Amino acid sequence: MSPRSVLSRLAGREAGVAALWLATVAAVGMVNPDFLRAANLHAIFVKCAPVVIVACGVTLVIVTGEIDISVGSLMGLLAVAGGIVTSPDRMGLSPQAGAAAVLAAGAGIGLLTGLLVTLGRVPSIIVTLGMLTALRGLTRVLMGGRWIESIPPSLRVLSIGSTLGVRNCLWVAMAVLALTVVLAHLTPLGRRIYAVGSSPRAAALAGLSSRRIKVFAFAFTGFLTGVATLAGQLEVGTIEPDIGQGFELLVVTCVVVGGTSIRGGVGTVIGSALAAILMMTIGTALVFLKLGASASYWERAIQGAFILLAVLTDQLSRRRGTGEDTL
Amino acid sequence: MNMWRRIRAMGLWHELVLAGLLAGLLAGAWYFEQTRGAEFVSWETQTALSSHMWEMALLSVPLTLIIISGGIDLSVGAIMSLSAVTMGLAWQAGMGVWPAVGLTLAAGLTAGAMNGTFVVFLGVHPLIVTLGTMSAYRGIAEGLIGAEPVSQFPAGFLAMSEPLVAGLPPAGILFVVLAIAAGVLLGRTAAGRELRAIGYNETTARFSGVAVARTKLLLYTASGLVSAVAAVLFVARRDTAKADVGAGLELTAITAVVLGGTSIFGGRGRIGGTVLGVLLLHEVRSLVAWRWNRDELTFIIVGAMLILSVLVHSVLTRRKS
Repeated sequence: MSPRSVLSRLAGREAGVAALWLATVAAVGMVNPDFLRAANLHAIFVKCAPVVIVACGVTLVIVTGEIDISVGSLMGLLAVAGGIVTSPDRMGLSPQAGAAAVLAAGAGIGLLTGLLVTLGRVPSIIVTLGMLTALRGLTRVLMGGRWIESIPPSLRVLSIGSTLGVRNCLWVAMAVLALTVVLAHLTPLGRRIYAVGSSPRAAALAGLSSRRIKVFAFAFTGFLTGVATLAGQLEVGTIEPDIGQGFELLVVTCVVVGGTSIRGGVGTVIGSALAAILMMTIGTALVFLKLGASASYWERAIQGAFILLAVLTDQLSRRRGTGEDTL
Repeated sequence: MNMWRRIRAMGLWHELVLAGLLAGLLAGAWYFEQTRGAEFVSWETQTALSSHMWEMALLSVPLTLIIISGGIDLSVGAIMSLSAVTMGLAWQAGMGVWPAVGLTLAAGLTAGAMNGTFVVFLGVHPLIVTLGTMSAYRGIAEGLIGAEPVSQFPAGFLAMSEPLVAGLPPAGILFVVLAIAAGVLLGRTAAGRELRAIGYNETTARFSGVAVARTKLLLYTASGLVSAVAAVLFVARRDTAKADVGAGLELTAITAVVLGGTSIFGGRGRIGGTVLGVLLLHEVRSLVAWRWNRDELTFIIVGAMLILSVLVHSVLTRRKS
């Protein structure tokens, strides 16, 4: 795909999501100008960072026509693994060893998922549903009924530190996003990911190995989950048992709102990132609207409304455009 | 060998494997208790341990039909939450408890019909529709009730969780009735065949004169109604109505259905398999909790069972090409 067609793609759903976000920010800013302060917007972006990082991988998985709903449990497991390796109460190894363990375990479990889907021919929703459950159990077993405490700050530097006044997790998220955009739109591998997703049969006839491409997408997602764990989940030095719970559905939601088709072949990581920013803005916006303490309880309802709205507009525009009535 | 072939031809091997696992599990537990003097394999222990499984079991029945038709419903837990909150607020607002139950069932029915409408008339993939309505319904429930749960329902209502026949509470009896009805529908009626036809190939089914839209609408509406029933039974069992009712139950119910041998791609599946899937899931969980008092191990076992059951199936049925 040429850079120009990347731009023309961005004109669709991505522009819509960006416009909706700008409208939300402007509307809340008019009611409460404090919302527009740089520190507040910065805080919102910090909340987005882990979602954006993982969504980059999950977008590619969904574009290949598969799905991954295990990233929340995987994130919990990786945080605990990193904590166990480095915490002086447990193994007490160096932070480099901890970071390596987190990234390797993430990529390894992603690889296993990919192999079960391709070689084992188990549908990805089943494999990752099983992983969602099993990894959560494994996390609890590893924790052994205690919280993990006193994780060294050197392992948490991506989560807590700042560079040039911007939190490190944002730099990481931007780097991952840029890397994935290049990978998806400017490399042969990226073209193959879209080819396998949009027409598996044509891709196979063209000599593409859908297996290898799918295994890559799952392993990449696992690796990015490790990156997101280091960059987003270690703000405090303790880890609770239910860390990462519900994260998987949030990520899938952002990917779908961002315009990726669940049937594969269509969607961009930019769209997913914009949708993640939109979704994570809503919670903070409700606080700044000062509608009273009970207003923040409506966060999830508004998120759900945005999902349905995104699906609706997509469906209506598609119907008008091509007469097709399927996603 | 001949018998094995016949079993495979009937497609019953999955149910056999599940029944074998279940029997092995209970036999193992029975063997252990000979040395320890505690009773896991007894009707009393089993009914006592089963009180909390019936809501998930109820959800799994319409879910089986939906998955066989090629769809999915991720919103069942959220509909339970919305229904429980409806129940709580109606009772709090001074409505009689039984009219409140009626309103709750109506709420679940409406939520299910909304799912069906989105799926049928907008042609959006059910995974996406119910992912969206899952957030929306649970969000509305959270918004309506806030942080304060409602409790202190009248004794006559709470009595619904008491054992009724053979140690089974009304929820358990309802599950048996519902499972038999769905089994008959699926195996013995034209509607059941149409359901499978939609799951195998929706376009072919439509051109063969199957009322695809009506069938789907009914399925999702039924799923919403059953979720509301499960919510009412939950509120009666725990005497509390709050927004986190049914959280995560959609994934457990889907696990039970798939463990029972229903294909996630639609077309293939049986209620008998789902019943065995529900029982196996429940027995593993209660045995581990009862014997070792460690809930976390069950997550690993259940997750591994889910993947392995489908993996073994895909290896066994792999065509030699």
